[in-house]
Amino acid sequence: MEGVAIIGAGQTRYGDFPGKGVKELFAEAYLEALKSVDHGLDPQTIQAAYIGCLSAGSGFQLGQLAPLLMGHVGLPHVNAVRVENACASGGFALYTAACAVASGKFDLVVAAGVEKMRDVSSSKGRYWLGVSGDTEYERLAGSTFAGIYALMAARYMHEYGLKREHLSMVAVKNHRNAVANPKAQFRREITLEQAMNGVPVAHPFNVWDCSPTTDGAAVVLLCNAKIARQFTSKPVYLKGFGAASDYLAIHDRNTVTSLAATRRAAAEAYKQAGIGPSDIDFAEVHDCFTIAEILAYGDLGFCEVGRAHYLLENGDTQLDGRLPVNASGGLKAKGHPIGATGCGMACEIFKQLRDEAMEPSRQIKNARYALSHNVGGSGGTAAVFIYQRGDES
Amino acid sequence: MGAHISIPMYQRAVPQRYRLIGQRCLKCGRVNFPPKAVCKYCLTGSEFENVQLSGRGTIYSYTIIAGGGAPPEFAEDARCKGSYPVVLVELEEGPRIIAQLVNPPGEGISIGMPVEAVFRRIYEEEGVIRYGFKFRLV
Repeated sequence: MEGVAIIGAGQTRYGDFPGKGVKELFAEAYLEALKSVDHGLDPQTIQAAYIGCLSAGSGFQLGQLAPLLMGHVGLPHVNAVRVENACASGGFALYTAACAVASGKFDLVVAAGVEKMRDVSSSKGRYWLGVSGDTEYERLAGSTFAGIYALMAARYMHEYGLKREHLSMVAVKNHRNAVANPKAQFRREITLEQAMNGVPVAHPFNVWDCSPTTDGAAVVLLCNAKIARQFTSKPVYLKGFGAASDYLAIHDRNTVTSLAATRRAAAEAYKQAGIGPSDIDFAEVHDCFTIAEILAYGDLGFCEVGRAHYLLENGDTQLDGRLPVNASGGLKAKGHPIGATGCGMACEIFKQLRDEAMEPSRQIKNARYALSHNVGGSGGTAAVFIYQRGDES
Repeated sequence: MGAHISIPMYQRAVPQRYRLIGQRCLKCGRVNFPPKAVCKYCLTGSEFENVQLSGRGTIYSYTIIAGGGAPPEFAEDARCKGSYPVVLVELEEGPRIIAQLVNPPGEGISIGMPVEAVFRRIYEEEGVIRYGFKFRLV
């Protein structure tokens, strides 16, 4: 298997951009990624593009979105395909791109994601998200994604003594981290009191437990590790990548306090990288709802399943803790443009591992290994990546 | 815009939605609900016999969907009731299923409470009222 390196990455700011559609968002991220390649890159040498997207503005261009976007940036003849696994679409685009390079078939590919969520009404948005879960039973119980994650949270509280306050600690931390991130949707802090007393959504969640609707795009440029130094002296290596599935519906799973897809994807990624959870210096994890970050701590091996709230109490996952999680602000505060999220995490890690986090206050120092984790829906799919900085001798 | 479950699609699941028909795997003996092509327990059995589930079980987990957080096809329901509970129920035959809880108790819902299935109106789409199961406390 060939080694895989990231040589460039770019993303739009996440937020609400009525003046930009999927094409404009994608182009902005792509051009930023191209510009980030230190020694330059001839776009015509790009061989393939894998673009994650759930609905492209709720069905605006469901079919053949990838060639539409590539044609918009002067690459109409590239082998381009849309990748869809709900909220993990970007992660699976990155995974597919990494496999394409690792196989030796291609040397230089684009992994990207884009979502335009703010063009549609909130009810149409909820429709599109809802039909990415189990439509026949979960949805017809009157539930939503928030409702499904709420079932996990209530059970976690019952089994492990997690408190309402712990959920809010995730939101407070991630909002604090987003303040210094120029790419984040919500660059403002919230207090624990605010986070615990928001408008109810699905018990035990209030609005501060939920990620927002977001417009955004992210683009990552991958190449065969053998040629990475043609492009930059500071590549970031993708040392491990794993992806897995689970039953789509929550009622089909053995447990609801752990995501089997995450555990399997993480095991694959750690094995390939030859390292373990204790080697990870920082991580970007999928916090679509506050409980999701708590589940991730256990499933990624940062602690035992059921003990995640102690990491929060100790401040271990804060920016200045021993294992910063979601330094970007996470899905909660950086934002969650569905298809873009998985690639946006890779952009954040690429910048951090090259000491280019823009604002010095948010730069994680002396990091060698990082991990990103992207979940589809309530855990029907998950992808995990392990990155290693490449400027070491 | 609601979740689109076409009339034929709903019709195909009538045995499950009206009568809680599950399938017992002829290989491992365990009960699947909703039905699968291959048993979700032994992952090999593909022959089944139909069994009618009792509808009795206990609350495995629960949530309360707030008025503003309901999916569009349940928005009117949520407006009338203010909010409605959704429960994940572990049935006495083994499977877990998800449905609404009717007549929620004033003093609150908790995990482990015994419930039984009841036949109720679920929602309306394409001019056809869709019926199915919900749960109530025993």
